[in-house]
Order: sequence, then C-alpha cells, then structure tokens
Amino acid sequence: MEIIEKEDIQGIIVKGYAHLPACKFVLLGMGSKQAAQQWLQLIAQNITRGSEKKPPAAVNLAFTYEGLKVLGLDGSSLDTFPLEFEDGMTTPHKQLFLGDFGNSAPDKWEWGGPQQTPVHALLMLYAPDETSLQLLYDMQRQHFAQFQLTEIKRLDTAVLGQRKEHFGFHDGIAQPTIKGLGKQDTPENTVAAGEFILGYKDAYNQYPDTPQVPLLQGKESSLPPAVKPGMLDFGKNGSYLVFRQMAQDVQVFWQYIESITMQDGKSDEQAMIQLAAKMVGRWPSGAPVSVCPDKDDTSMESRDDFGYRAVDSAGLRCPIGSHIRRTNPRDAMDASSSKSMEIANKHRILRRGRSYGKPVCDSLEPAEILRSKNFEGERGLYFICFNAAINRQFEFIQNAWVNNPKLLGLNHERDPLIGNNAHPDDAHQCGFFSVPANGLRRHYSNIPDFTTVKGGAYFFMPGLHALAYLAAR
Amino acid sequence: MTTHGALSVIAGIQPGALPQLTELLGRIEATKEAADGIIPFTGMPDVHFARFVLLLNRTDVQGNVIPDSLSFVTDYDGSETAHLQQLISIGGQGLWQVFSYCANFPAGNYDAAKLQAYLLQHKQKNATFYVGVSGRSVQQIRNEQLLRDEIEQFADASQPLFAGKNPLAIRQQIIEHVFAMPAFGWAHSPEPGMSGGAAFAHWGKLVLVILLVLVLLPVWLPLLIIWVLIVLVQELRDRPRPNVVTKQHLRELTERETGMVQAQFSAVGNLKPGSVRLHTVTFLLGLTNFLAPYLFSKGKLSGIPTVHFARWLIIDDNRQMLFLSNYDGNSESYLRDFINIAAKQLTLLFSHTMGYPETRLMLFGGAAHAREFMDWARCYQTVSQVWYSANKNVSVKNIYTNSAIRNGLYGKPGEEEALKWLRLI
Repeated sequence: MEIIEKEDIQGIIVKGYAHLPACKFVLLGMGSKQAAQQWLQLIAQNITRGSEKKPPAAVNLAFTYEGLKVLGLDGSSLDTFPLEFEDGMTTPHKQLFLGDFGNSAPDKWEWGGPQQTPVHALLMLYAPDETSLQLLYDMQRQHFAQFQLTEIKRLDTAVLGQRKEHFGFHDGIAQPTIKGLGKQDTPENTVAAGEFILGYKDAYNQYPDTPQVPLLQGKESSLPPAVKPGMLDFGKNGSYLVFRQMAQDVQVFWQYIESITMQDGKSDEQAMIQLAAKMVGRWPSGAPVSVCPDKDDTSMESRDDFGYRAVDSAGLRCPIGSHIRRTNPRDAMDASSSKSMEIANKHRILRRGRSYGKPVCDSLEPAEILRSKNFEGERGLYFICFNAAINRQFEFIQNAWVNNPKLLGLNHERDPLIGNNAHPDDAHQCGFFSVPANGLRRHYSNIPDFTTVKGGAYFFMPGLHALAYLAAR
Repeated sequence: MTTHGALSVIAGIQPGALPQLTELLGRIEATKEAADGIIPFTGMPDVHFARFVLLLNRTDVQGNVIPDSLSFVTDYDGSETAHLQQLISIGGQGLWQVFSYCANFPAGNYDAAKLQAYLLQHKQKNATFYVGVSGRSVQQIRNEQLLRDEIEQFADASQPLFAGKNPLAIRQQIIEHVFAMPAFGWAHSPEPGMSGGAAFAHWGKLVLVILLVLVLLPVWLPLLIIWVLIVLVQELRDRPRPNVVTKQHLRELTERETGMVQAQFSAVGNLKPGSVRLHTVTFLLGLTNFLAPYLFSKGKLSGIPTVHFARWLIIDDNRQMLFLSNYDGNSESYLRDFINIAAKQLTLLFSHTMGYPETRLMLFGGAAHAREFMDWARCYQTVSQVWYSANKNVSVKNIYTNSAIRNGLYGKPGEEEALKWLRLI
C-alpha cells in the first residue's frame, strides 16, 4: 500500500476545511522572479499542509503556467507540463471544447480572459470567521507591494446555510474518497490517489504524467528524483486546480421553473420543486431523486451510495440528462454495471468550490426563494476542483458529459443547470430537458442560461518541497 | 436496406507540388459544405463521409523513405460504379485539380473518363471495413432524423391534448399527424429489411464457414498454437521505444475537432518487420472483416457504441497500416473508449504496428497500458486535411433509435408495446 505524504501535500487537496467557513481567493500577478521568490520564502512556512488535522486558519497557493514562467522555470521544464495547463481555458479550441459560448465566452470574462492581465498565482485564505479572515488577509496583503505582487482580483466568498448553493440545493455531496488517506468508504467510491495527487498510482494502476525540473548545481532539493537522470519530480504531491467563476441567475432559474409548471395561471410550488429536483437529480435537502422519487426526505440528505441501473435505468426517477447523472453516470453507462462504474471512476474530480454573493434569502428554502424579491447583485459559485489529468477528468466531464447533446442516446439536450446552448453549430440556441415518463416523456424547451462563466484558469498546486524548489532556485 | 462501400484511393504526390496541394485542400475543406464548393460533397446524396489525408514524412522500419502520398477515401451507399459516377459528375472538376498534383496523372484538360481510370488505378483494397450504421443509406438516416424531430415537435405541442389519453390513442394521433404530411410519404412503410435471398446468402456464408472451420479443426488448431507461440517469442523480444508526442502535433490534431457531435481519426504507422507479423495482421484483419457484419451488426464495434464507419488498410508494399474512422464525440473520449471498453480486441489488431505498447499473446497488455497507448495513438495520428460528414449532427445511437421510432408507426401493437414505443421519443 502506498504511503501518502500528507505533510508534503497542501491542505486544501486533502480536505475542504468545512470548519473554516470564511474564505477569500486572491488572484495575483507577480512582478519579477527575484521578488516572487523572496515572497515564496516568506510565505512557505505559512502554507497549510495536508497533515494538519484541524488548522485554526489555512493558506494555500497555486500557480498558472505563466506564473511558473515568471518564477524562472526554464523552457524544457515548462514543456513537461501537460498541453491543457500550458494552453489554458481560453484558446479558441478550449472555448469549443469546454462550451464557453455566448455570455460565457472568454472575451466577456471578468478575469482570466485572453485580453486581460495574466493571472500568475492563486492565494487561498481560510478562517473560522470573517474577522479572523480579514486579519489573515491584511497580514498577507501587507507584503504585496514589497514583493511586487499585484492583486488582480480579490474573490470574496459567502457562507450559505445548510451547505446549500444559491438555487437552494444541498451541494458538494458526491466526493470520491482518496485511497490510502485513511477514510473508509464503499469500494465504488474509493478512487486511486493518483487520480488527484501526482506521484501515486492512478485508476489505470500507472503513475500520472509529472512535470520535471533539473537538479540545480550547488543547490540541494528535497524533491524526489525523476525517472530521467539528473531530473527531479516536481509534480510529486502536487495537483492541477481548475477554477471557474460561475454566476448563478437564481431569479431566471426559479421564474423559468415557475412559468413552466403553472397550472391555470397559478404557481404550483410542489410541481416546481419536483421539476427543479429532476433537473438537479437531488432534492433541495440533497436526497437523491433516484432513491426518493416522490418527495424530499431529509434523512437521505447526504446519501451517496446509490446507482441507477437496478431501479432507474430508463431515468423514470432521475432523468438521464439531469445534472448529477450526467456529471457522474455511475453504473448507468452503455456497458455492464461494474464496467460502467469502473469507467465513470476514471473521470472523477475532487471538488473544493465555495459560493459567493448574497443569498436571495437565508433559509434558501425554495418556497422562500420564490417569495423573495431580493435578486439584486451577482451571486454564484467559485467552482474549484482538483485532478491529476485535466484533459481526462475536468475537461472530459465538461465536454463528453455536460455539453454533449447526444449523451447516452439523448437526442438533443445539455446539462440543464450548467450546459451551454450557444454552440455556433446549434440551430436551437436554447436548452432542452426531457423527463422520461411511463409513456411519452415530458420535454421542456426554451430553457435559458441559468449560469454564466465569468472567469477561470488552470493552476498547478505544488507540494511543499516543490514550493521550496521554486523559492530557492 | 442498402449495401455500403469504402473507396480508398492513394496516389503519390508530384515532387514540389505539396505546397499547392496543401493550399488547395485547405480551400476544399473551407468550402466542403457550400453548393458551389470546389468539391461540393453535399451534392452527392450517396456519400456518408469523405476525407483527404496527406501521408507525409514517412520512413519504413529499414529507414527507407516512403514517398509522400495523398489518400482520398469515401464511405458510400450502393455500388462502386454508381458511386464513382456520382463522385465524378458532381466533384470531377475539383478531383481533377487535386489529383493533377499527383504522380502519373494524365496531362491536358478535364476528362471524366481519364479521371475515373486514374481513381480506379490507384484504388487500394481495404483489409477491414466496419459499418456501424447497419444497412442504412445517407438519405434514410437524414429522413428518419427529420421524422423524429417532427414527432417530437408534435408531441411537445400536443402535450395538453395527450393528457389522460392511453398510449394507443396517443400513438394513433402521432401516426395520423405524420401520415398527413406529404414530406413523410416515404415513412408509410417500415425500414426496408434484407431481402430473402440476401439474408440467405448472408447467413449461409457464415454457416458454411463455421462448418468448414469445424471440419478442419484438427488441421488448423495445432498450427494455430504453434503460430501463436512464434508470435509470443517475437513479443518477448520486442522492446517498444517510447513514442514522443509534441504539443504542437497534439494542437494541430485537436484544433480540427470543431464538430458538435462527430469527429474523425486518421492514423498511419509502420508494421513490425518480418513475414510472421505481416501474415498475422493480414489474417486478423481479414477475419475481422468477415465477422464484423455478424458480431458487430448493432452499431457497436467491440462494444464501442459510437463508430459510424472505420477501415484498416495495409499500404506501401505491406510496410504500413492506415486506419481511418468516423465517430461520435472527440478523440480524447474515443481513445479512452478503446482503453476502457475494447482494449483486448484492438490490441489484437494494432499490436503489429511499431511503437505499440508491450503485449502478450496479442491480447494482454497493449491498450491496458493506458498512458503508453495514448502516446502511441497520438504519435501515429495524422491530420485529415479535409473531412466531410453528410449527417453531422446525428449519433450512432440516434440512428438506431430513429429507425425504431419509424418502425413503430406500423402494425397493431398492444398497450404495453405502444408504451415502450412512446418512451423512445
């Protein structure tokens, strides 16, 4: 059994810091190699490690490809990083591949877009409450000028009650359990460490591709040697971090649901929640629709050990095109049940996102959201995930599942929550969603965009030894 | 029900003509869907897919240079004669321009007969041709998608009307609606099936071969075992060199994947040296070609549910293998399907090419070494300069469901059957 070096892995990869609800993300530009290295030397001791049980506050750090360039990695080292990381999310090909069209097109992004100041680093700050978070942030910020760091954007987060997201649904339930980290889970949900952390075996029982750097003359490094002689395994204990700022239009979402479920000109609250739950694949409490087909059941709110094949292969409970079934089809792909599970588990991600913006109401109960008229301002999700192969994990989910209009035999529909329907070849330019029934399915059309991508980038979050290498070279 | 053919033409490129040819192919790609394009593929009703691929910078296992060539391939309905006629009458002028950059092309002005003779002369035999759309024509696939779209729209619009009605009544209303539309006149009869004679020939051939195989079992089984052992010895001696894939190569390949539903794959590489490998691969490709219509007749190639058409060729004096396919999705998910679903079957066919990840008994290892397999596939994948698809927004799965929807318009089903049919929509 592999020993996972938690003390070298940054903490946010190992856990989501649920006990530190206050959080800020700072997007930084770095002025020069020398100043950035001095900053790294200073901040290195503050970086939270995966081995810390319940840290009182947490600081984690990741870099873009451009950032690693500023930090002085040479061309041949940079070339050992994967293509996706080098090209980022905004090339014309990536726009097509990820489906960022219309209002989500990268040239409309607030940060990370092709015409904007390049982001070099992502500083992640976590604290138990807003006051201590402000202190932590101020402490960090006082170094910015001295080390030629520019704050490109500060992303403040919001704490939403009952672990809900803005539409009113319990979020972040399905998470893979990393093999070897000590937590017990079902075999179906236990995934090889190398799917998320470089330097360990992945779901194919192979070591993921890892970036390599030269051993520097006269300098020591605690990085392990790479397979290639004279090179060091820079990737060991690191992970690729995908960041997407996704604005959620709560008003448009619930108004659409209301208008489409209206009976004789009157809103039907129960029908609304039912349809929204079918789109999500879970009830507002988090209870899976395929387990509780008729109504919400709070005793099932964190239930995640379920499949579709046995009770719901046709999608009569949880539609094939629903958000959670698309993004993790579990045992219901076009192969045997166990094969399907095995394939689906080769496309998992570790989610670490946080919400931002003021919730429409505190309870986030659909009924109250509906009555509330408090839609002012922007709100949404900072989607953050970790994976060892961006192309096989995040990008695959986004392209082959979320935005695949033909997924598993569907005729023409994308993810009802986060799908993008503005593909230039698409004659419809709007969303569709079918709810299978015993007989003719119910087909919803003219679905507007409920989410809009506002920014994003690919980062690499190095292990602690790799950070030390960057600081010292 | 239609038969399908796969035309493969490979011609050497005249010295110095590559820049102009590349430029011309670029223009053909840009205008492939225009009615007045250089080669107006949309005007050829029997063409499912077509592509031009430049085969460049190749050396064989001995290090000899293989001359640069152009390959032109189509997947079509019906007979080769009729296809060539259509190809030349509609795209002849454009094809003339293209092949005038190729070796031994007749000089002078456009001449349809000379063009046809040239194409036939440079036609190559496919070792394996796989059809994922079963006996369906371009037109049938297109029509049945239109039919499904119409039924969907009608069903959506009639939602209030259908409320509370039983499935048989709903079905009846859908049928009446469709049959009242002249555009769907063709839908008044079910999908054309195999004729009695054709079915007899189809299954008779299989029965005959199985009988022959059984009768000759005592002869071929010992030979097979010896043969497999010889290959195993070669496998044990093989030391595949790592395949180096440059980022620029990957970008060139993936940037061309702009389709919403479908994509293509072209790959060319050297066969491993020696006659054992050559005979093994020739036999296995031949066997697959024979068995595919029986084993993979439901739109799944070894379990992979997304392939419309695929073909394998052994080219350049038995030195190289050329593989071309048309599928749903993107190349990343396509190659992942290979590894996840059909590793053994594809290893059996591809392990005879250079650089393929280490195998045992032609089944084990190979594509199961996921990372090495991806590198191998990307390394030998090559750019398709022109790629055309007639029904570009229809998936293989759609094609089968659409036919099932059409076939459900006939007969007298019971309520349960009618329910099942309604669920397809």
